[in-house]
Amino acid sequence: MMKARKRERRRSAKPGGESYVFRLFVAGNESNSSQARANLARLCEEHIKGRYKIDAVDVLKDAAAAHKNKVLVTPTLILVKPLPKVTLLGNLNDTRQVLAALRLTGDEG
Amino acid sequence: MATAKRRGQRGVAAGTRTGKGRKGLSKVPTGIAGLDLVLGGGLPAGRVTLIHGGAGSGKSIMSLQCLLHGAGAGKPGILIMFEERAAAVRQNAWSRGWDLTRLEKKNKLYLMDARLDPEAVISGDFSIKGILAVLDHRIKAMRAKLIVIDAVDALLHLYDNPMRERHELYVLHEWLLDRGLTTLMTVKTIPQEEAPSRYAFLDFMADCVIHVDQRVTAQIATRRLRVIKYRGSGYGRNEYPFIIDESGINIIPITSNILQHRPPGPKVSSGQARLDDVLAGGYKRGTSILLAGTAGAGKTTLACVFTRAACLRGERVLYLNFEESAESMVSNMLSPGLTLQPLIKAGTLAVRSYLPEAMGVEEHLFHALKDLDEFQPQHVVVDAISACKRMGSEQAAFEYLMRLLNVCKERGITCIYINQTSGLEIAQEISGIGISSLIDTIILLRQLPIGGAMTRQLIVMKSRGSKHSEQFHEFRITDRGIDLVKA
Repeated sequence: MMKARKRERRRSAKPGGESYVFRLFVAGNESNSSQARANLARLCEEHIKGRYKIDAVDVLKDAAAAHKNKVLVTPTLILVKPLPKVTLLGNLNDTRQVLAALRLTGDEG
Repeated sequence: MATAKRRGQRGVAAGTRTGKGRKGLSKVPTGIAGLDLVLGGGLPAGRVTLIHGGAGSGKSIMSLQCLLHGAGAGKPGILIMFEERAAAVRQNAWSRGWDLTRLEKKNKLYLMDARLDPEAVISGDFSIKGILAVLDHRIKAMRAKLIVIDAVDALLHLYDNPMRERHELYVLHEWLLDRGLTTLMTVKTIPQEEAPSRYAFLDFMADCVIHVDQRVTAQIATRRLRVIKYRGSGYGRNEYPFIIDESGINIIPITSNILQHRPPGPKVSSGQARLDDVLAGGYKRGTSILLAGTAGAGKTTLACVFTRAACLRGERVLYLNFEESAESMVSNMLSPGLTLQPLIKAGTLAVRSYLPEAMGVEEHLFHALKDLDEFQPQHVVVDAISACKRMGSEQAAFEYLMRLLNVCKERGITCIYINQTSGLEIAQEISGIGISSLIDTIILLRQLPIGGAMTRQLIVMKSRGSKHSEQFHEFRITDRGIDLVKA
C-alpha cells in the first residue's frame, strides 16, 4: 500500500523554525484535488519554504490509507506536525482561512 | 397458521407479488415480519430505498435489521454511520441479541464509522470521492450486496449549497446503481413533517420511499409506517402500526379488508347446566359473547365458570386480564369455589395480565396475537373491555377489541368480552365502546334490591342465530360456582 503513495519531499538545510508535515488526500486529478495540491504548494513555498514535507495520497489508489486516516471527502489536508493535528476539507481556495487554520499567520518565518 | 398468513397477504397488498414482479423487478426480503408483506416481497434489488422519520422513529433499527437478514441470507452488507459510533451500534444490537461482531468476523457485515471530525475546517469545495474509494475497496473485498447509509443528511449537511448537495447525492446515487447495490438510506425529518423539505429531491431520486413516525395521543405513543412510493411495484398503501420490541421491528398484521369469519361452530356449554338451557344449549363455539353488568354483578365469575368447564374438557382458554393479576384472580375465584391453579399448571389455562396504560394499542394487540399464536386457545376471555379505554382512548379500545375479535373469528376462537357498566341504565351502555354490532351473544347481569337484599339477575339480550329465553333469571354465586334459581 505504501508503494502507491506519491511522496514529494522538499526539505531545506536551513536551520531554525519548526518543520511542517502535511498529508494531502486527493482523488486522482479531479479539479478540487488539483487545486488543493497547487494551493498547498504555493502557500508552503511562500510561508515555510524549505521547512515542509507533503505526503500526497491518491485515495483512488490507496483506499486503505484513506480508511486508516478516516478520510471521507477529498481533498482532505491533515497537518501532522507540529501538533496539534489540524484537518482541512476542500480545495483550500480561501488562502487567509487556510493560513489561519494551519497557524501560519505572522511569526512563522 | 397457514390460513393466517394467507389472510394477511390478501389484507395488506392485494395484487402485489412476492419475489419477481411483473416487470422482472427482483426484490430483496427485509426479513422484518409484516414489512415484506407491505412491500410486496421486499426492497427493490439494486436500487435505492429511502427511509425518513423523526428522531427515535425506528429508521436505524429497521435498516440494521435488513442488513442482518441479508447477511444471514448470503448477502453481505455494509453499514455506514454518519452519526453513531460503531461501538455503540454493536452494543445496542447486542442488547437485542444481535451479534454483529460474529458477522463482522465472518466478513458478512462491515461497520464503517463515518463521523466527520467536528474540528475539521472546511475551506473550499470538496467531493465524497474519499468515502467512495474506501467503500469500493471494501465492497470488492467482501462482495457486499447491501448497503445502509445511516443519516445521509449528516453528510449532505456539510455542504452549505443546495446545488452541491444535490450534485453529490446524484453522484452517490449513480455510484450505487453502477455497483448494483441494494441501498437503504435514512434521513431525519422534523417531527410532524412527513417529507424532509430540505431533502425533498431525495424522494424523487429513490425508487422506494418509506416514512416512519411516532405519535403520542393521550400520553400513549404509537409507531406507524407508510410506503410513500415504490417504482415498478405494488405495495400496501395504508399506514401500518408497528412496534419495536427486543426482537426488533414487528409490523402488526392488518385487519383484513374482507370479513372471512368462520361460521359459528356447535354449541359449547357455558359451564352451568341451567344457563345452557336459557341459551338453548350454551354458547356457540367461535362466536363472540359480551357479559355486561355493574361492578360485583358476577361477570368475572360467570366467565370463570365457563373457563373452568372448558379447561376441564381439555380445551385451552386464554384469559387476558386488564383488571387484576393472575395470582389475585386465582385467589379471588376460590371464594365461589372455582379452582383455577390446577388448570394453569395443566397448561389448559393461560392468564395474561396487562396494564392497559402500559403500552399503545398496537403493542397490546401484538402481545395478544403472540399469546394466541403461542397458546393456540379455543376460547379467549377479555376482562374487561371497559379497562381497554385506558389504552389511550375509546377509539383505541375499539380498534383493539375489533381487531382481536376479527382474528378470533377468523380462527374460530370463542371470544368472551366482559364489560363493566357503571349505572343501572345499562341499556345505553351495553353497546360497550360500540362493538355490540360485532357481538353474537349479549348477557346482561344486574343486582336489584329486593326485600332488603340484593338479588342477582341475568338476561340474554341477544343471541344471534339461536333461540334463547327472554326472561330475567335470578342467580346466586355460591361456593360451588353459579346457581340459577328455577323460576
